[in-house]
This record gives sequence, structure tokens and C-alpha cells, in this order.
Amino acid sequence: MQSKSVYKIPNGKLLKIFLDYDSDKNLINKISITGDFFAYPEESIDVIEKKLKDTFLTKENLLEKINSVVKKYNIEFIGIDAESLVEGILRCL
Amino acid sequence: MKEKWRLLKTENNSAFTNMAMDKAVLVASSKGLVPPTVRFYTWSPPAISIGYFQSLNDEVDVDACKNLGVQYVRRITGGGAVFHEKELTYSIVIPESNPKVPKNVLESYRRICGAIIKGLKHLWIESKYVPINDIVVNNKKISGSAQTRKLKTVLQHGTVLIDVDVDKMFSLLKVPNEKIKDKLISDVKQRVTSIKHVSGNDVSFNEVADAMKNGFEEEFKIELVDGSLSKEEINLTKKFEKECFSTSEWNFKR
Repeated sequence: MQSKSVYKIPNGKLLKIFLDYDSDKNLINKISITGDFFAYPEESIDVIEKKLKDTFLTKENLLEKINSVVKKYNIEFIGIDAESLVEGILRCL
Repeated sequence: MKEKWRLLKTENNSAFTNMAMDKAVLVASSKGLVPPTVRFYTWSPPAISIGYFQSLNDEVDVDACKNLGVQYVRRITGGGAVFHEKELTYSIVIPESNPKVPKNVLESYRRICGAIIKGLKHLWIESKYVPINDIVVNNKKISGSAQTRKLKTVLQHGTVLIDVDVDKMFSLLKVPNEKIKDKLISDVKQRVTSIKHVSGNDVSFNEVADAMKNGFEEEFKIELVDGSLSKEEINLTKKFEKECFSTSEWNFKR
């Protein structure tokens, strides 16, 4: 199933998530994280997108995966954070 | 003695050339081949640039752009979609190790925007920085910026609006809800301004560039020396333009 969310992050930027997911298994097939936010290094968002493939669409699972990439790549977010990414993804459901 | 930085003025380049040039200067700087560089530039034809993370099809009416002869390009920096027509665009490229630019990203935005604010003062315009990346005059946006850090080098580029045509801008950008488009346009007209609107005068690119040159020199306590692109930068610009910025693969990657 394909879905999109538009989420204005409080005190942050506009996050738009494009989600392709398996609604029976509650798994992500493909995700595109877009918006007018900043992330350093930029390529880390591509890594998050890849890591989220086949992830269960629960708050805990999403947050754990995203935080693991944030830690590994020492990502600095501006106008967005891990929690708001999770919120944006869950709003697609 | 004041540190000498290079000043480039490159008017009327395509969107692809402009974005390739910023990246070429970044790469040359990272190799220690060129001094810290400030560039002032314009776009011909007019163009929309979108942030690195934005979806081109979701933000931009590509058909409208084609009909009006407006180019579109994805930047290597984050941030939002910008319509570049009547403006001075600036970029600054400087090693992260240079103490004149704070290590902290937000502090460095403030510092670089300080140069633009000082530049606007030379045009008798009082403005202030609004985090994350805006400069406002009487609460209306006159300048927006975006920064990336790659190869241990800072690149920040941004706009200084000389004049603005909000109606034209919205004929090129997609809005989330067509029904509220008129309201959105009137809201943006309330929130955006330009040098022409504030000063009531037609101000040329060169006048704005002179003012901004003074602004950068004062903020960073440096001397900006007129220069040109090195041979390596010219070659890199051509390479990045051809292999990246002019390609659908890059521009439609999200």
C-alpha cells in the first residue's frame, strides 16, 4: 500500500514521507524521507531509508533503527529529529 | 594584516552551472588550492532550486517551468524550494578549520548571515537574523540560506531578494491545496519582502554586490580581493554540470 504524510514539525521544518508498506505484515517496503530540513551528513538520510526497509511499523522499532544510524553516522539534524521522523512515518498509516 | 579572501562575481549562469560552480569551489578549497571564497551571482534563465531532501515533482510544477522558460535544479544543501529571479545569490566556501567560521552549524549560520545583515545596512536597511536560516526586515523575509559541510569544508549559499514576484513564484511551485492557493499567496506576500520594497528604489545587482562585499569584509575582518575561477575549478564545474546537476537522475532523485 502506498501512502504519504505531510507533517509540520513543531518549531521545525516540513517533513513529507512517501511510504510503500505491506499492510498485512505491517512492514515497510520502501520509504522516501523528503522535506526542507537539514541533516549532516546529507547522505545519512539515504542510509536511514535503506535501513528502514523491512522494519515493523511500530514506534519502538522505527525509533531504534533511526537512532542506530544517527549514532553510527554522528548525524546532526536541524529542523527535524528522530522522534519527528517516526511521527511522520506513523502518520502515513 | 587582514586575511585575504577571494571574491567572484559570476552573473547570468544557468542553474546547473551555478550549482556546479559552488561544488567545484568547495572541492578546490578542500584540496587547499584556493583561498576562502565569496561568490555573488545571478541566474539566467530564472530558476527554481530545491533542497537536497525535497521531491522535485512534489514541490515544483515542472510543466509550468518549461512553459515559462524557468530551469529547475536540486541543490547539495538542504532547505526549501527557492525561485531565483531578481536577486543576488551569495555563496561562501571556507575550510571548517578556519577559526572565522564557528564549528557549530547554527552558530555558523548566524555568523555568515551577519555578513548579509551588515551588507544590507550599507543599503540603509535594518535587518535581523531569525534562526535557522532567515534574515528578516520588519518580520518579513528578505534572505534565506542553506549550508552543507563536505570534505571538511563549509559551503553556505543564500539569496538576497532585490525584487520579488510572488504570483509568478506560485505559478511554478506546487501548493498542498489548490483551494487555499489564493490565501497562501496573500500570506506569503505578507511574509516576504525585497530591497526594492523596503527602499522604494530600483537597486542594481552591482550596488547590492558592493554592499555585500563590505558586509563580508566587516563581519569577518578580512579583505575580499577580486578573482576568477582557477583552471581546475572551471574543469570541475563542467564535469559536475554534465555528470550531476543537469541530469534527470540527480534532479528527480527524490
